[in-house]
Amino acid sequence: MKSYAKAAIAAATVAALGLAVSGCTSGGGATADDGPLTVWIMGDSGANFEQLVAPWVEESGTEVEVVAIPWDGIDERLTTAVASGSGPDVLQVGLSKLRTFADAGALLALDDHLDDHPELAAENFAAGIAGEASAVAGEIVSVPWVSDTRVLFTRTDILAENGIDAPPATWEELRADAKTLAGRGEGQYGYYIPQWDSPLPVVMTWSNGGDIIDADGNVDFDTPEFNEAVDLYTGLYADGSVPTNGDFDQTQGFISGVAPMLISGPYLSKSIADSAPELEGKWNVSMAPEGSASAASLFAGSNLAVWHNSTRVDDSLDLLEYLSEPETQLEWYAINGELPTNVDALADEEFLSDPLVQVYADQLGDARILPLVPNWDGGVGADLLTALNSIALNGEDRDTALQALFDKTAEISIN
Amino acid sequence: MSTATTKVTPYVFVTPAMLLLIAFGVLPLAVALVVSFTDMDISGLANWGNVEFAGVDNYQRLFTDPDFWQAFGNTAFFVLIGVPSVVLVSLAVALLLARSNSRFYRALRSFYFIPAITGIVAIALVWGYLYNTQFGLFNWLLSLVGMPPVQWLSDPLLAKFSVAFVAIWRGTGLNIIIFLAALQGVPKEYTEAAALDGASSWRTTRSIVIPLLRFAIFFVTVTTMIAWLQFFDEPFVLTDGGPLGATTSMSIFLYKEGFRLNQFGYASAGSVVLFVVIALVTVLQLKLRRPDVEY
Repeated sequence: MKSYAKAAIAAATVAALGLAVSGCTSGGGATADDGPLTVWIMGDSGANFEQLVAPWVEESGTEVEVVAIPWDGIDERLTTAVASGSGPDVLQVGLSKLRTFADAGALLALDDHLDDHPELAAENFAAGIAGEASAVAGEIVSVPWVSDTRVLFTRTDILAENGIDAPPATWEELRADAKTLAGRGEGQYGYYIPQWDSPLPVVMTWSNGGDIIDADGNVDFDTPEFNEAVDLYTGLYADGSVPTNGDFDQTQGFISGVAPMLISGPYLSKSIADSAPELEGKWNVSMAPEGSASAASLFAGSNLAVWHNSTRVDDSLDLLEYLSEPETQLEWYAINGELPTNVDALADEEFLSDPLVQVYADQLGDARILPLVPNWDGGVGADLLTALNSIALNGEDRDTALQALFDKTAEISIN
Repeated sequence: MSTATTKVTPYVFVTPAMLLLIAFGVLPLAVALVVSFTDMDISGLANWGNVEFAGVDNYQRLFTDPDFWQAFGNTAFFVLIGVPSVVLVSLAVALLLARSNSRFYRALRSFYFIPAITGIVAIALVWGYLYNTQFGLFNWLLSLVGMPPVQWLSDPLLAKFSVAFVAIWRGTGLNIIIFLAALQGVPKEYTEAAALDGASSWRTTRSIVIPLLRFAIFFVTVTTMIAWLQFFDEPFVLTDGGPLGATTSMSIFLYKEGFRLNQFGYASAGSVVLFVVIALVTVLQLKLRRPDVEY
């Protein structure tokens, strides 16, 4: 209890140490001119990444040191790196963290460099993620790397047993089907909502034709479309279609059939195929359901950026160029299962020959990135989940909870 | 020469401890106090120039922040549940363990100490599985007697007790050892005299042993109280302050504001408030302490 409990003063200690250290180092420790290029890769795909860049290392003669950063340790790592002034040269930034990193001044503005590197121009990448779309404060600070979207996973066998012939195409159908499936008995559900999935209510709002950002760039939840999304979100709980325990395991729930429908990313296909090969043919993926207006899904990939005080900007950009080539990106899909962002790679016939990939690629066409709100995960996203979950799980008064959300997010803007 | 040496000697001995205390205790506290009056965030961390003096804004915001008051209330709840439980349970266990010095009892002493020396992550992993709604042991046992599953860590009220229970289980080990050590210091003559007077075992414990343990009880209460006011590990690893902030203690609130939201100024203001609360509570305890009973 005691060791961590010093968090009270730890915040200040880190701040103080950081200030002290940033005073002494100016260049950044890991960026000596002739040393290896340091690359931060998120998650546990460091070894695969080394394999991917091996040909580039050979060709350019520049060594690459890959550091794998766990997804849940990113915030702390960023704080330390910004405080100490010594970061990597190139780093992977999840789209939901892009704004935070850029606001911290951690990322190099690439606008001036893009002219010399035409391969990094926005038109080479899937719509809605490159160039202006992911610029922060008018500056382009990253180039697209991997894409990720959300599709509907269904246990076709269980749906068929309950008289549902096709996966639901609209949220309305989904809600009705989920209710039917939850009626299978005690402890059986129809659909699973991860309680930490803050983009889900936003996607629901989009599919109703709305947005959570108003014309002036301010966060605005007080819209009829969002209201409809709240009805849907809380309605699924009210129907008893969704498990209410926060520790529900989505992969286990899907494999055991307890929650035979859910929306998740391509990585779930891999977990299912790995842990339950016997289910082959009994499940499928389809496009995320339509709301009252259109189909919409989340674009949740990662971009690559150059650290603000890297002394190896040219080498870094060369590496980015290599990584954005269609062949490199398809190779990455082959070894690490992450979808490309390059338009040519996304249109590759061999790549699209997999029926699952066909669905992902189609879905990417309807996918949008979350608005680049400052600190989405800890701020607006967390407030959104608190509001909706307190209604759905705690029976909080709907108007009170939503009003609290409106008040909390009132003065937040993407500008 | 000898008088000069005698005068200097004690200071030489306390210097290393003082330096460490100043470097890692007093200085950070002073920094926190200074930072709490600024709008320090991550951009300020990168460049001093972005830090601005904010006066008491952070404190004003803190006292109107419902999340802060929720964390404050949760901490009070944890202290009220946790401190008496830890003190009573460890005292009771220590009294029972002290009844014999056989091999079995000695083994039991190690057994009770194990939670205190086990890594919190391992503990969280194991308890996380025990509490799991879908495939946890507790719910499986309940299902054997036909009870419906219980949402140990997902129900906002129950999660408080679940998390506190793990902390109580983990917190007793060290305190049992402290009480056992104190029990060694109870003179045999007193208990023997009581036995000769025909006092029962319970009567001896109540009227002789426990009063003599007064200082140990006081010490354990103060340290346990401070630890619970800084409650962090168990909710951090088991629930991350959830569900819906129900297990967010003051420390977790500060951690989230500071390291997840990068609002160092705001978090520092909170840490100063927590420090003041802990200092007040501790001073109050010291004031209320009655002098030791002498026999």
